[in-house]
Amino acid sequence: MSDGGEAEGTRDEQNGSNLRSGDGDYSRAISRVAMAQICEGVGFEGFNESALDSLVDIAIRYVCELGKTTRFYANSAGRTGCNIFDVVQGLEDLGKPLGFTGASEVHTDCVVSSGAIREIKEYVDMADEVPFAQPVPQFPVIRERRMIPSFLQMGETPAFKHVPQWLPAFPDAHTYVRTPVWNERLSDPRTDKIELARQHRKAERSLLNLQQRLVCNGSSVATTSAEPCNGGNGSGVNNNGNLSLEKPLEAEDIGVSRVSIPPKLSSQAQTEKQVSLLETFAPAIEAMKDGLDSGSDGEKTFPEKRDSVFLELKGGKKVFGEPLDLKIRKAVGRTSSWFGHEGEKDDKKRRVEFILRQSLENQQELPQL
Amino acid sequence: MNGQTSHQQPKDRHDDDATLTEFLASLMDYTPTIPDELVEHYLAKSGFQCPDTRLTRLVAVATQKFIADVATDALQQCKARPAVIKDKRDKQQKEKRLILTMEDLSKALREYGVNVKHQEYFADTPSAGLDPASRDE
Repeated sequence: MSDGGEAEGTRDEQNGSNLRSGDGDYSRAISRVAMAQICEGVGFEGFNESALDSLVDIAIRYVCELGKTTRFYANSAGRTGCNIFDVVQGLEDLGKPLGFTGASEVHTDCVVSSGAIREIKEYVDMADEVPFAQPVPQFPVIRERRMIPSFLQMGETPAFKHVPQWLPAFPDAHTYVRTPVWNERLSDPRTDKIELARQHRKAERSLLNLQQRLVCNGSSVATTSAEPCNGGNGSGVNNNGNLSLEKPLEAEDIGVSRVSIPPKLSSQAQTEKQVSLLETFAPAIEAMKDGLDSGSDGEKTFPEKRDSVFLELKGGKKVFGEPLDLKIRKAVGRTSSWFGHEGEKDDKKRRVEFILRQSLENQQELPQL
Repeated sequence: MNGQTSHQQPKDRHDDDATLTEFLASLMDYTPTIPDELVEHYLAKSGFQCPDTRLTRLVAVATQKFIADVATDALQQCKARPAVIKDKRDKQQKEKRLILTMEDLSKALREYGVNVKHQEYFADTPSAGLDPASRDE
């Protein structure tokens, strides 16, 4: 069955349905389909939208009217539940304007032989059975309501004596009592210190890396980290520094030999000593790096002790000197603690530490000179 | 009149009861076009309380019969209108699509006491308001 008229758009239809008898869209849609099927059964090939809407309205009103009349008759008889006799009487009421056979014999004792029923019977016998096109679920669908739990269910006792426990519980106090709100900044001194130390270490590390790059560019002589400056062993700026360092290193020859710390002067043994020094310092450096929380720096390992030497050389620049002094002391202090934990290379590291301390002391003496 | 009809034989009454129960039983076999759920929905709205599905079926069948009667009358109105004669399509003169229009429906419903006449200017088809001669399917 196809639509006969296209003038009425679907939008108009939907707007119109809102203004109509207030039925739900779903039930109206089902009614439309049912009416269209009935019309098709009668013999129509098409319909106008407005005509079908009117027919749907009429059908719905018929059903409602029949239900109302039936209920009226049941209530008149003192009942609330309707039965067949009420329905038949309702049918007769609705059929009266058009008339049906036996209308004059209505309201007799026996409603069973009513003409209305007879007509319906004939219709059932005569008409073709056209079931509804699609399966219709039970509607309207009733959702489970979430009830407010009672006092008993909540496990509370009502505050007032006149309130029984089976009643719904009162809402929580925080829903209606206004409490002051302020911003609480938790100041944990420990976390503050840790944060500060972390920032210091981060600055240290970046500075060391900068020094390293400078060293590599400036073709340094004595570099502990063999990786970045493998070839750069020119005696450049650092020669002076190395010379100055000679004194403390030579002083500790006895201990030094075992540690195999290079004197940092002779270029011949440089590579060997570089590697050995790197090996010596590598665990400490790694431990330092691992101990740091921020592992974002993917920089290469660089021993801090080495940097102290460089700074010493460029004595005039107090910018590096002063703050790093503290950092170096910190680093040394830290390394000493680490050294305490590692038992394997304790001797070597202690000697290294001692040497560096000596260098630090000399560092302070040097500017005075 | 009432006295005559009220003195029905108990046997007749018995037959009538049997007929009615048979009819209600047969209703369960017959599936009306209007689905049961829809009818139940609207009956519940009206206050009709009955858990018996046979009564719902009865109401559904009654409504279907009513609508079918209205539609049949409208169909007759549609057929009764003089067919549009086209010069070129002589063979297809009498063949016209039977479309349920508002005019036919309003004429059919008037007998039932329902007044659903639309205004003259109400246009629900593209051919509304055009000359009858140029009116096509």
